[in-house]
This record gives sequence, structure tokens and C-alpha cells, in this order.
Amino acid sequence: MRQAGAYSGLLCGGVSGRTGPHSLPLARIKKIMKNSGEGVKMISGEAPIIFSKACDLFIEELTRRSWIMAIQGKRRTLHKEDLASAVIATDIFDFLITLVSNSDSHAVGGATNVMEVETIDYS
Amino acid sequence: MAGVREQDQYMPIANVIRIMRRILPAHAKISDDAKETIQECVSEYISFITAEANERCQREQRKTVTAEDVLWAMEKLGFDNYAHPLSLYLHRYRESEGEPASVRRASSAMGINNNMVHPPYINSHGFGMFDFDPSSQGFYRDDHNAASGSGGFVAPFDPYANIKRDAL
Repeated sequence: MRQAGAYSGLLCGGVSGRTGPHSLPLARIKKIMKNSGEGVKMISGEAPIIFSKACDLFIEELTRRSWIMAIQGKRRTLHKEDLASAVIATDIFDFLITLVSNSDSHAVGGATNVMEVETIDYS
Repeated sequence: MAGVREQDQYMPIANVIRIMRRILPAHAKISDDAKETIQECVSEYISFITAEANERCQREQRKTVTAEDVLWAMEKLGFDNYAHPLSLYLHRYRESEGEPASVRRASSAMGINNNMVHPPYINSHGFGMFDFDPSSQGFYRDDHNAASGSGGFVAPFDPYANIKRDAL
């Protein structure tokens, strides 16, 4: 098993050399880091490597929680709404609420109308 | 969402989906809007953590964001259950970095060779130990690769040497 892992690692390195042993491209991670703010000057070589693994964990957790939402909805297809529900239900994902909410309100005109009605009711 | 999405601001969708598939059952489907949304979430996650890490750098009057800054920012922002496995990951990475440079270069070379002789490899050598389709580019979790990679740097040399001889 350990040997098989070695083979698959080497093979994948050859097939998609840009990622090497990491499942996400380090150059892309570095670019996103650079664009996260004007203040980011230099990035050590190890930081994108840490992010490569961190994003694995993040994607896995977000996927797991979203899938739970899909199952509760008796569905087998993961939708954007499942991601939004998972984000809303999880404290550490609070920073994503704006992102998934904007997507929802943009995609669904009805949501905006409902909000407007509520606003009228309050006034 | 309107307009062209700059692809270089997101992780490649194929990589993201591959990671998602590890978690989802075989019969699960992923809608296109979910794929796009999770791409955006990943970029937002990187920016969120990086901004916090960079603030610490600036407070301490340093110019380079390090792996330690990233780990510190994760703990501060509530991702402390990530920070511990990532510390171990970083530690193992640094250990593997200590290996002779010639071994790492040889590994890279093998990667290149393997790429060139990909078709003959598939046709002439059927390693039963593989439990995946090489063309799908699937592979084990990083933990497994990292652990087995360092140990397997010597063993896999022979099979590739055979391939090279066949090509000649």
C-alpha cells in the first residue's frame, strides 16, 4: 500500500507537473494571496504549500456540511443553496455569508421582492 | 457572477471537484452553480486568512508572509482544528526538504520521463497495485503521498528504468 502510494504520487507528478505532490496549484494560490490586499508584499515559499493542504481541508469540510443539507432536502445533487445553508449554519464560515448571499440574491429575483415586501411591512 | 470570471483568481475546477468527490458518495451529483460557488469560497478563504496573516506581519514590521503567519491566522480566525494537522504537514514537508537535492531532481526527472512515455507505459506495464485510472489524474491524499513518497524515493527507480530502456 505504501509502495502504491509512492507510484501514484510519482505518476501524478508526471501527469500534472504543475501541482507536483500538492493537489492544488501553488502558483495560483500565490496569485490569490497577492491579490488579497495591497499590503501583501512578499510570500515565503512554504505559505502556498500550507494553503494547498488547508484548502483541501476547507473544501472537504464545506462539501461535507453542504451534502448534509442536500440529504435533508431529499436530494442527490449538491446545489448552491446547500452551500449557502452550510455557510449560514457554521460559525467559522461567517466570512462567506456575503459571498453566498450575494450570489443568491443576484440569481433569484424573487428573494429581492420578498425582502422589499418585508421592508414595506415594517415601515 | 455577471461577465467573464477571471479563472486565475480561482482554483482550477477539476482540482476542486476531485477533492469534493473524496467526501461525497458515488451517486452524488454537483450542480454547476455549486461548483462555481465553492471555487469562489476557496478564493475568499485564501484571501481572508492571508489578510489576517499579513496584518501580523506588518505589526511586527516584517515583509514576508510565512507559513507560521498563515497558521497563526487560522487559529485566530477559528480554524484551529486545521492548524494542528497543518503544523504536522509543514514539519514533514521540511523534513523531506532535507533530502539530498539529487534525489529530488531525480524524482522530477522521472516525472518528465513518465509524461513522455505515457502511452507505452499503459500498454506494456500493468501494475496491479494501482487502484485508479492514471489518465484520470486521481491520487491519494497528501498525507499518504507525503508519507510514502519520502520512503519510496528509492524503490520506484527500477520500473522507470525499464520503461526508459524500452523507449530506447
